[in-house]
Amino acid sequence: MKPDLSVSLGRLRLKNPVMSASGTFGYGLEFSPFYDISRLGAVVVKGLSLAPTPGNPPGRIVETASGMLNAIGLQNIGVERFIEEVAPRLSDAGATFAANIYGRTVEEYESVAVRLSELSSLAAIEVNASCPNVKEGGMAFGATPEGISHLTGRVRKATGKSLWVKLSPNVADIASVAAAAEGAGADAVSLINTIVGMAVDHRTRRPKLSNVTGGLSGPAIKPVALRMVWEVCRRVKIPVIGIGGIQTAADALEFLLVGASAVQVGTANFRNPRACVEILEGVETFLREERLAGISEYRGKLHL
Amino acid sequence: MSHSRMQFVAGKIVRNEGHGEIFYRLEAAVPEPVEYEPGQFAMVSGWPGNDPLLPRPLAIFRAGAAPKGKGTVEFVYKVVGRGTALLSGMHPGESLSLTLPLGRGFDLAKDGQLYWLVGGGVGFATVFPAAAALGRRRAEYEMFLGSRTREQLPPKEWTPGGSSPGRVHLCTEDGTAGYFGQVTDTIRERMAALSDADATRLTILACGPREMLKEIALAASVRGAEMQAALENHMACGFGVCWGCVVALREGEQIAYRRVCKEGPVFDAREVVW
Repeated sequence: MKPDLSVSLGRLRLKNPVMSASGTFGYGLEFSPFYDISRLGAVVVKGLSLAPTPGNPPGRIVETASGMLNAIGLQNIGVERFIEEVAPRLSDAGATFAANIYGRTVEEYESVAVRLSELSSLAAIEVNASCPNVKEGGMAFGATPEGISHLTGRVRKATGKSLWVKLSPNVADIASVAAAAEGAGADAVSLINTIVGMAVDHRTRRPKLSNVTGGLSGPAIKPVALRMVWEVCRRVKIPVIGIGGIQTAADALEFLLVGASAVQVGTANFRNPRACVEILEGVETFLREERLAGISEYRGKLHL
Repeated sequence: MSHSRMQFVAGKIVRNEGHGEIFYRLEAAVPEPVEYEPGQFAMVSGWPGNDPLLPRPLAIFRAGAAPKGKGTVEFVYKVVGRGTALLSGMHPGESLSLTLPLGRGFDLAKDGQLYWLVGGGVGFATVFPAAAALGRRRAEYEMFLGSRTREQLPPKEWTPGGSSPGRVHLCTEDGTAGYFGQVTDTIRERMAALSDADATRLTILACGPREMLKEIALAASVRGAEMQAALENHMACGFGVCWGCVVALREGEQIAYRRVCKEGPVFDAREVVW
């Protein structure tokens, strides 16, 4: 029997728990040559700002042990071009899609959310309260429970869409930040964004990134991500979307096991453009082999 | 069915041999013939584990059909870091992951042009396919290959149309082969000697160290010659989604960051902010 892969994220029902992580999947259509993107639980597109953003100067990525640092600086086409040019094509492709949003001020977050709310095809808005590579906005709002509560509350009032808040791991107590997002009306929290890191060249005596610091992603951060997802799942009642270093179906299942309702696959898309569907297929195979009727029979069933 | 459309495929190493001091030539069998434009590249990985994490961008050196509807693809690479070192240790029969063909290659469409192809160091691997394509249609071209020393020049038998006299100019910094000096020196001398008429129908296709490209771009712009520069950069994905490999381009009054993997790797040298 085919296991039931569908999951609920509050009032939103997804056909399966495997999504792409924002910033690693372009605007989704870039992956159409590799597979049918409508197979994914959801496509989460690159962070959108009110106006197009040029991003940081070159020297944007560095490979590190089992991971990479990036400091892209949210280069993106802006919300208007997304609505006009990209969203209709995602709909035509049959994809369920969510938009990650970013602003330099709370008002910008609100404005982007208002514009996107007019898009009937959009499944959810993910608030990026955790980008480590921009001077204003981003992580500044996500660093404290008070900041996240304020930002979440304001965006909540601006949109009737499902609202996910993407959390930064660069905080003292991520569970408190998640609880603040929950209290302010988030439908789900997604975590973790990248961990702030740095790489320097001992010969040239220079930083390897133009931004000096960047966000660490990839398998190197998975244990940290898993711990944080576990902590947050024990603290909040809203669904948790697990992100951080997922490369294989086993990695995805580990996040479900500690309580995540769904997962996002990020850096793995860079090395293997088919990573998301391969993980999805692997999760289904596992459920079938374990004779589980659905995700709910496995999610959160960690033996402690 | 051959594909010029980008694909993610499994390849099997047919050969992976060292040549001269630093080059490796890698041939892989792939499920279908690959059609590519000279200057396009592939993302290649195959070593086990997560470290290094990312595939490596390698210019497509040759590609074609193999028996039974299958394809073959070849790369020439230099060992520059851990990824290429691990690749150089892989053996025939082992598996590779390949995403290809990627990026925008050289524009060779214009007729009546005089082409100069310039390869600095391993940059020859990117310009040889363009030479082969120009040779097939009997276009007018010359090729300039530069390296530090004789052992770092490509083997003669790899050079497309290698036997035609006057076509291939070798330059070594230590004078052990060909012109004694840098390839940029010889380009500057030749450029100065060009008639105005020839300068305006000159297209330079170049790949090599950034300093070399920058100097040639300057010389070309002074004479009003066109130049297409194939750039390199660190890449995470190679197909336009990570936005990590950008280069600054002049677009009117604006500076814009464009992806080497998608809008490039071949750019109009006049637009690049060197």
